[in-house]
Amino acid sequence: MKIEVLSKGLFSLVIDNGRVGQQRDGFCESGPMDSNAYDWANFLAFNLDGTPCIEAIGEVRLKVDEDCVIAVTGRESTLYVDGSSREVYQSQAISADSTITFGSALLGSKAYLAIEGNWQIPKVVGSASTVVREHLGGLDGKGSALKDGDYFEVLANTRIQNNAKMRSLPAHHIDDYGFLEAIRVVPGYQFSNFSAVAVRTFETSTYTVSSAIDRMGFRLTGEPVASDIEDMRSEAIHLGAIQVPGDGQPIVMMRDRQTLGGYPKLGCVSPCDISRLAQAVPGEKVNFVFQHEEEARTDWLLMTSRRRRLQGEIL
Amino acid sequence: MQAFGRIKRIVTAGADAIMVYFDGANLDEANDACHQLLSAIDIRQRESQISKGSKANEEDASNSWYWLREAIPSYDSLLIIFDMALIDSHGVYRALRRIDIEGISPHVNVAKLSGEGKVIEIPVWYGAPNASDLSIVSKKTALSIEEVIELHTSVTYKVYAVGFSPGFAYMGDIPEALKCARLGTPRKRVPKGAVAIADRQTAVYPSESPGGWNLLGLTAFDMLLHKAEHSKSRLKAGDVVKFVSITEQEYKAGLQVEL
Repeated sequence: MKIEVLSKGLFSLVIDNGRVGQQRDGFCESGPMDSNAYDWANFLAFNLDGTPCIEAIGEVRLKVDEDCVIAVTGRESTLYVDGSSREVYQSQAISADSTITFGSALLGSKAYLAIEGNWQIPKVVGSASTVVREHLGGLDGKGSALKDGDYFEVLANTRIQNNAKMRSLPAHHIDDYGFLEAIRVVPGYQFSNFSAVAVRTFETSTYTVSSAIDRMGFRLTGEPVASDIEDMRSEAIHLGAIQVPGDGQPIVMMRDRQTLGGYPKLGCVSPCDISRLAQAVPGEKVNFVFQHEEEARTDWLLMTSRRRRLQGEIL
Repeated sequence: MQAFGRIKRIVTAGADAIMVYFDGANLDEANDACHQLLSAIDIRQRESQISKGSKANEEDASNSWYWLREAIPSYDSLLIIFDMALIDSHGVYRALRRIDIEGISPHVNVAKLSGEGKVIEIPVWYGAPNASDLSIVSKKTALSIEEVIELHTSVTYKVYAVGFSPGFAYMGDIPEALKCARLGTPRKRVPKGAVAIADRQTAVYPSESPGGWNLLGLTAFDMLLHKAEHSKSRLKAGDVVKFVSITEQEYKAGLQVEL
């Protein structure tokens, strides 16, 4: 089956689980910004975890030349097939020569499109994920974002029966992407080099998501927090690390972050909240709350076991 | 978590990661200790991949390393990322202690890490207009621009770590007098081949990227070896490097050769 890109949207990438085990050579982790939405998209489209998806900012239009099953997920995501609205967070049967239009109603949020089958996309350094900065991954393997007129092949998955039961995630189980609840942060790295006043400031202030947000990191603006570190040796940076450069404005490190860096770090955003933060758009207000690492792990175990049970019920 | 052996400190780096810092009389030794532990971990991870699925592994998560997702070394630190569904930070700590008790495997080649190779020369056009913070560095260090260049080219450097971006090699230490802090606000765009310093470190940007280091000039020396579908870092931890000052004309001639 041929998938043709009629309109690429603002910035759309082929992504998968990312490059695991390559960070020591300097290759960034990459992978989906909102891994929750990405995982749901593949599940709802009958794909195995880790199958490529399209991560789209803006509205993307594609044409498929065969019958297929797709699913669209993400914050305030929308889906139209030949101009008529379809439900997101559901398997959708699409007939040959249909035009699929999907995206997020919020400018800057990401929508995910999964298409059932085997994506014929080269793996570069172990992954199909596109990293424009590193010239890696994507349709050509050289890190190009999607362009109008691009096309690729998805081969039919023979494991799926024609009468397979369509899958749907009940609306009340769809992730809540608001910021009424604070973003949980595990204290770590150079935490002890931040004064009690700085820590208190960070926890009680409201930060605004700036327009400098991309796959590398999200820059926030608000009350500055300073550490007593003047210089330090560069060290590895985990997903969600909160880095504070000299100007005291925190930067949350995202999927395409550099592997090593030398700015002091306060801690790390909980893996339960990183997808929610990754969907924030400029101008949104965010609060942070510190959480012990063991509590964060427990929350994550609960979240994943709840999702697994939910998937069992949907099947 | 209590430090032991050549580990100086262990801190939390997230719900699923810990950061291990190493001790040594100097940075060289701490760096070697880091790479020794990493090699020992790599050997154990390979062994547990081979014996994956056997009963013994499932019974004692800390005895095999199949929970290891990533181990990322730097100067004197090692970030260990684990699968939270299989182990917690205490289990990771126990596994590290076991390596300490069993000792580092004799297979580990430390000679390679201590930099016995020949000196690699990197030619630099100091003060290239689109990659020069020379006047800022001069102000920060109270040295003249000529002195900055002279000091930067006066010593050989060891490659301590590769990271930040593909092929980005962290080298050190630059002379104490040249030491200067990073930019308060990182640059959004640093050109490919920019030679830079920050604190006691120096490096070359392998490709255009954001960055917060002070730029000294440009080199045509390509930091990545390109081969069909794979790229790999030209410099490895342990290599010895020296910077050499060249003119604009020599830089441009160098670009032709590299292309």
